[in-house]
Amino acid sequence: MKILVMVKQVPDTATRIRVAEGNASIVTDGIKWVINPYDEFAIEEALRIKERLGGEVVVVSAGPQRVEEAIRQTLAMGADRGVHIKTDEALDSHVVAQALAAVARAENFDLILTGKQAVDDDAAQVGPLVAVFLDVPQVTVVLKLEVDAEHQRLVAERELEGSIEVVELPYPAVITAQRGLNEPRYPTLPNIMKAKKKEVRVESLQALGIVPNVKVRTVSLSEPPERPAAKILTGDPVAAAHQLVELLHAEAKVI
Amino acid sequence: MDFSLGAEEKLIRDTVRDFVEREVMPLESEVLRNEREGRPGVSPHTLKVLQRKAKDIGFWGINTPEEYGGANLGSLATALAFVELGRTFVPFQFGGYADNILYSATPEQKERYLIPTIEGSRRSCFALTEPGAGSDAGNIRMTAVKDGKSWVLNGEKIFITNGNEADFAMVFAVTDPSKGAHGGVTCFLADRDMGWRSQPIRTMGEWDPGALVFEDVRVPEENILGQEGHGFDLAMRWIGAARWAIPARAIGAAERLLGMAIEHAKSRVTFGEPIANRQAIQWMIADCAVEIDAAKWMTFKAAWMADQGLDNRHQSSMAKLYGANMANQVVDRVLQIHGGMGYTKDLPIERWYREVRLFRIFDGTDEIQRYIIARNLIKGNVRLGED
Ligand SMILES: Cc1cc2nc3c(=O)[nH]c(=O)nc-3n(C[C@H](O)[C@H](O)[C@H](O)COP(=O)(O)OP(=O)(O)OC[C@H]3O[C@@H](n4cnc5c(N)ncnc54)[C@H](O)[C@@H]3O)c2cc1C
Repeated sequence: MKILVMVKQVPDTATRIRVAEGNASIVTDGIKWVINPYDEFAIEEALRIKERLGGEVVVVSAGPQRVEEAIRQTLAMGADRGVHIKTDEALDSHVVAQALAAVARAENFDLILTGKQAVDDDAAQVGPLVAVFLDVPQVTVVLKLEVDAEHQRLVAERELEGSIEVVELPYPAVITAQRGLNEPRYPTLPNIMKAKKKEVRVESLQALGIVPNVKVRTVSLSEPPERPAAKILTGDPVAAAHQLVELLHAEAKVI
Repeated sequence: MDFSLGAEEKLIRDTVRDFVEREVMPLESEVLRNEREGRPGVSPHTLKVLQRKAKDIGFWGINTPEEYGGANLGSLATALAFVELGRTFVPFQFGGYADNILYSATPEQKERYLIPTIEGSRRSCFALTEPGAGSDAGNIRMTAVKDGKSWVLNGEKIFITNGNEADFAMVFAVTDPSKGAHGGVTCFLADRDMGWRSQPIRTMGEWDPGALVFEDVRVPEENILGQEGHGFDLAMRWIGAARWAIPARAIGAAERLLGMAIEHAKSRVTFGEPIANRQAIQWMIADCAVEIDAAKWMTFKAAWMADQGLDNRHQSSMAKLYGANMANQVVDRVLQIHGGMGYTKDLPIERWYREVRLFRIFDGTDEIQRYIIARNLIKGNVRLGED
């Protein structure tokens, strides 16, 4: 199985996000960058499939220099090599998906895995768009994945509201991972030591033949209104309960 | 000059951090409960399971040479790992470690002592200090007298870490009283079943070192570690190896404690305002942060120097002295910021308070570190402004 995993580097979810001057981007100084958590499930799944069936796991990521760190981390988890589409431009999901699809097209992958969405902009577009550009089937929000290598088919279980949908499809295909698909592993020390020596090929949009024709532009960002200080009700529990109901009704307007 | 960590070092740090957060920290309340009820914080079984988990991801023998199955990480990478392990008070260490001086053993001794220690089937202790010789360890009185093909040891050791659990001791005795520390001290590998006894010494910490008694303990001559009369050099090498490891652990503990204090200061309201708004509290927080940062770079520099093959003894002494005191200052301020809560056994602060006090005593007291540092400068071994 030759598997491509598409990962995005995002700010750690514990980061305090601040809007940068100009209101069109966030302050990136001092941010801790991590692999998008949903992409970690995709990597783990790829590694497990490789352990069962053999093959190769290639990781691709688009972004500035810092993205190499995310790729190296996947190599330390056990991925075989990486492709870094190096760009400092602010791209939209469409252009990113075009670039990722170009990398995927250049080598014939059996399976393309990624997270169901990135936790920074939550657009959930890249996986489906890549499938469209490559003209292969896709299943999103996958909780369980089985590979039938003999018949070149996949059985994927995806989460719907209140139920599970079971989908059977041929591959090559694009699968996007949901939390619960697996438990991502730790990088191992021997793999950390080897990661430095593994190949990370640097690509550019230009070399991939992509014209960054950005269609979606961030017009402005603003911080959510500050939450008012918490109100603590003290005294007689019965009176406090009455007061709470009153406040939930009159002030918070939730009941 | 470049203060950034390499990709590899960052990955090692992040992986150990993750491991500590996900596997070790969840044991914390159990550890506190066990210790309150007089049991060891983590059972030997739990420790084994954890060490095996760590071993599965290659964190085993992190500074053990590769020929013995270890990862042989450099000193800086090891220091980074120790900082992460220091973030929890759970007494956990990666497996696969053996004392540096055991590598000076003969091939037969390695089979019997070094390798089983690395594998975890035997446990060592380092027995130098005596009731009458601590800071002045060159003054030890335990005697070893040759009798046929063995040496007969008599004397007492005190405050020996792992002394109650170990099944062999690297014990230092005087073999030539006319020479003393300068060629008259020898290190012996003495199995417990050769006849020495141990007795726990209760301390303010959560683990008890042992007092070791040797009464006519016969040790075969092939159990001399290194050479006869070279024991004191071995002792100094053992002590020197751990020196920057102490401040490394202290840094992890201090960062965790300061984080707790900041959270508490933001949520604790007095006189209608969070105490974090008060300058008195802010200054404590600021002082902690400054001292932690200073300790960090002193420690990393000592470790980095070791990786460069430079003599780091002076830097290690400074890092150990400063780091040990930093931890004591930080835990004291953090306890103060927590008020009465900080003094209770519901929070781990008082436990840390008791534990870090040891940092200023063992592996060379504050005073001995200062003595070393000053002597280096006065004698001109280290010149100011030349690093
Ligand atoms: C929990 C614990 C674990 C230990 N583990 C081990 C172990 O595994 N193996 C081992 O061999 N030892 C171990 N030790 C012993 C430890 O290394 C000694 O306690 C330490 O070296 C100090 O010696 P001492 O206690 O005899 O103090 P002393 O040397 O008696 O010192 C008393 C005080 O006098 C000061 N002082 C001494 N000499 C001078 C001087 N010349 N100038 C100024 N001030 C001076 C000291 O700094 C100290 O403040 C351990 C100790 C403890 C508490």
